[in-house]
Amino acid sequence: MDTGNEQMRKANNLQYKRFYRMVPLPSVAVLLLLFFVPLFFTLSSAFITEEGLTFLRVLEVFTDSYTVKIMLFTLWQATLSTLFSLLVALPGAYLIATYSFRGKRLILALSAIPFVIPSILVVLGFVIFFGNNGFLNRMLMSLFNLSEPPLKILYSFKAIILAHTFYNFPIIMSLVSSYWEHLDGNCESASQTLGANKVQTFLRVTLPRLLPAIISAASLVFLFCFNSFAIILVLGGGPQYTTMEVEIYRQARMLGNSGAAAALSLFSILTTTLLLLWYNASQRRLARSETYQNSKRLLEKRPATLSGKLLALFYTVSSFLFILGPIASVVIRSFMASSSRSATESFSLKWYRQLLSLERATGHMGSALGALTNSTLIALLVALCTVPVALSMCIAIRRREGKQSFLELLGMLPMTVSSVIIGLGYYLISARLRGGLALSYTLVVLAHLVIAIPFVLRTILPEYRKIPLSYMHSSLTLGAGPVKTFLLIELPLLKGAMFTGAIFAFALSMGEFNATLTLANSSITTLPIVMYRLIGSYNFQGACALGTILIGVCTIVFIVSEFAKGGSYGR
Amino acid sequence: MADNGLTCSLKASYKDFTLDAQFSVQAGELACIIGPSGCGKSTTLQLIAGLFAQEGGSLLLNGQDIGQKPVHQRHIAMVFQDYALFPHMNVEQNIAYPLKIRKLSRAKRKERVARLLSLVALEGYQKRRSQELSGGERQRVALARALASDPQLLLLDEPLSALDAKLRKHLREEIRRIHDETGITTVYVTHDQEEALSIADRIIVMHAGRVMQEGKGEDIYHNPASLFVATFMGEGTTLPYSLIPKTLVNPGASDPFVFKPMEGKHTIFFRPEHVLVQDDKNLPLAEYLPHLSFKQAEVQSCEFQGDHYRLACSWEGHTILCHSSYRPRTPMVTLGVRINRIREYVDGESIAKRLLSPVGE
Repeated sequence: MDTGNEQMRKANNLQYKRFYRMVPLPSVAVLLLLFFVPLFFTLSSAFITEEGLTFLRVLEVFTDSYTVKIMLFTLWQATLSTLFSLLVALPGAYLIATYSFRGKRLILALSAIPFVIPSILVVLGFVIFFGNNGFLNRMLMSLFNLSEPPLKILYSFKAIILAHTFYNFPIIMSLVSSYWEHLDGNCESASQTLGANKVQTFLRVTLPRLLPAIISAASLVFLFCFNSFAIILVLGGGPQYTTMEVEIYRQARMLGNSGAAAALSLFSILTTTLLLLWYNASQRRLARSETYQNSKRLLEKRPATLSGKLLALFYTVSSFLFILGPIASVVIRSFMASSSRSATESFSLKWYRQLLSLERATGHMGSALGALTNSTLIALLVALCTVPVALSMCIAIRRREGKQSFLELLGMLPMTVSSVIIGLGYYLISARLRGGLALSYTLVVLAHLVIAIPFVLRTILPEYRKIPLSYMHSSLTLGAGPVKTFLLIELPLLKGAMFTGAIFAFALSMGEFNATLTLANSSITTLPIVMYRLIGSYNFQGACALGTILIGVCTIVFIVSEFAKGGSYGR
Repeated sequence: MADNGLTCSLKASYKDFTLDAQFSVQAGELACIIGPSGCGKSTTLQLIAGLFAQEGGSLLLNGQDIGQKPVHQRHIAMVFQDYALFPHMNVEQNIAYPLKIRKLSRAKRKERVARLLSLVALEGYQKRRSQELSGGERQRVALARALASDPQLLLLDEPLSALDAKLRKHLREEIRRIHDETGITTVYVTHDQEEALSIADRIIVMHAGRVMQEGKGEDIYHNPASLFVATFMGEGTTLPYSLIPKTLVNPGASDPFVFKPMEGKHTIFFRPEHVLVQDDKNLPLAEYLPHLSFKQAEVQSCEFQGDHYRLACSWEGHTILCHSSYRPRTPMVTLGVRINRIREYVDGESIAKRLLSPVGE
């Protein structure tokens, strides 16, 4: 038999594999276009000036003492924020993993909030809750009869660290505790029967086993803090607390020096890529280090000692207060208004009336309704487009299981670039194209798409991997072709994951601030942008009204994602 | 016979494993492929089904070369190890799936599903969800689904391995009954030799990607073609040929054995149920029967198995397995094996009675 015949036979034989090879091509093209074109624009303006190709600009930026200071500060604040998050999160992880107590479910549920809440909302909640005129200060003032607000933390380094801690500690807590819960508890028992006391057991057995999970969660949080934008921009309150991301935005949009911004983004991209590689490696180490137990480790016990009970109580109350407090205060403030400057605030629908244009709005509130419709339309579009792209990539990734998937890496690629830099890329494109408003909005949608795709991919892919290959094989042997198999077996089984992914994409786009702000000109209005402008002009209640709508969207996402956890077919 | 049943010559390779297997199954037969894990038996099924690429060779089913056809056009049904019941469909929808693909009318589908369910003794299960079924029920639904489209060949990939021992025995009887009722040509993969011996018309023993022996269960058990097959299909004792002169008891003629030494390592093999165990020195063997006798064998272990005792005895550094109907009263016993129960191998390959050929047997 000659080789040509052989090859043909092989191709025919595995016709169904060809289908899976073709499926991802359009999405790959879309992703490459959406990601690399803006990146190309960014990098080219870092290296190419009117005089042609030059490394001078990059060199200049990297040796400038001001930028070096910013780089160091960026790393320093991320390190400190990560440490504080660990400090707050680890006791909680211990409590959750070891004990069952009232409020545990609540803490676990609450800890999912930071995963879905947009950063602009964190910022607003912080101002409203911790501000000089915020809920916490007012509470303390009336409690202790003070005339001055006791906590002055806003617009300072403390505020940045505090906000990052609040925003990120639940991530560490839930990741570490879920790993901890599934560790085989017999190892601890074995250690104790071998003569080690509780402390020795913890230090020599439990901690080393937990370490991979802790490192993995901490590096994720470090990455988030490194790329943090809105929190630093608003809460940092000044040039002395500028990080990389804020400086990129400032150079590009305030100083009009997009070349310097592009050069700066090189550093950011490099660091983020390294961090992501490290995070990926730590994830792989995590997967290798333990055989994951399906059953709960021990019979859960209630905290026995008084100090244990107090710790549990304290933790429940404080996480309740600090996670929910800022969010609740945003909602409460949105329903309050004072009739005149001196009068005390009372319940009012003023801001919602202004928002819906039922009342004459002042300042930026005038653009609120437009922003709401814009954001909703953009988010809908993003949700509808990301799911098919992510799904088709999942199909191809699933097919090549075993090999390090190039496609999976490609799908995660947009994560290596912070959303500010994606925004910068699209801003540079818009500067070249000089189109109208429609073009600007198109670019916003595209930027959101790039940002949302990795998240949707991460939502659908694990669900796809849960479908045993034997289902597809079974369907093929029963006479259904690859397309029919996809429509009748895979698609129905992925319905839930696709819906969750769409909802995620919708919420992500609704709350997207970093890229939108970086790329938007003044005529573009989306919900978070208008919120930012309202905060900037000290109309906090107006911002709260918009924030409440955003909270509503996030709540839906939150509920859906909680349901999706238990909602897949019992296999 | 080539146009009746399955004839295959399969070649495939991946990483450090190559598969090169030739065997045939006659129409209406139930054939078992058996082998240790990693021997390529599941790969063989996937090659037949078309789920894995074939590198040359041929695959003939009822006279047609199906090697080039895509999976869904081969008319080969397969029951997977995890049953692969679609979780978003109920029992009826699962079984009707291949019928729907073939665009049968709703009424016909309903009628056929009912018939199949009664075949697998699950009448009235139409509306159950697959999650509500027990392991055995799932297995039977998977079987009904595989049979729904009247396939030309049925492949079963370790269909009972996920079930407990008692259910396994019951269900293998069921599979045999269903096979006899439908008469469908079936290839059944298992790693359990007892299962293979009890269910199969024909057994195909595989090892390291190759077919070691193919034949009826009795043939394979009593005349294993190689030491591998001998030890894989049941227990036994392997001893070097050199101890024959020492142990041979030849009450008949002076020297009735022809001894033809060959190149390679000579070994003998026999099954434990063919060993006679006696706690006094006299074996209850008829005087004229030539046999090997192992005197002063020490009983190392004695396990009660219900209908017999399983003994491991040590004789001059060799371990001999034997079955006894009673528990020996002394620590030392005498063991005897008749010559005609002994199989001979050179370098692991059978050399049917070449070294020892008794006159008159």
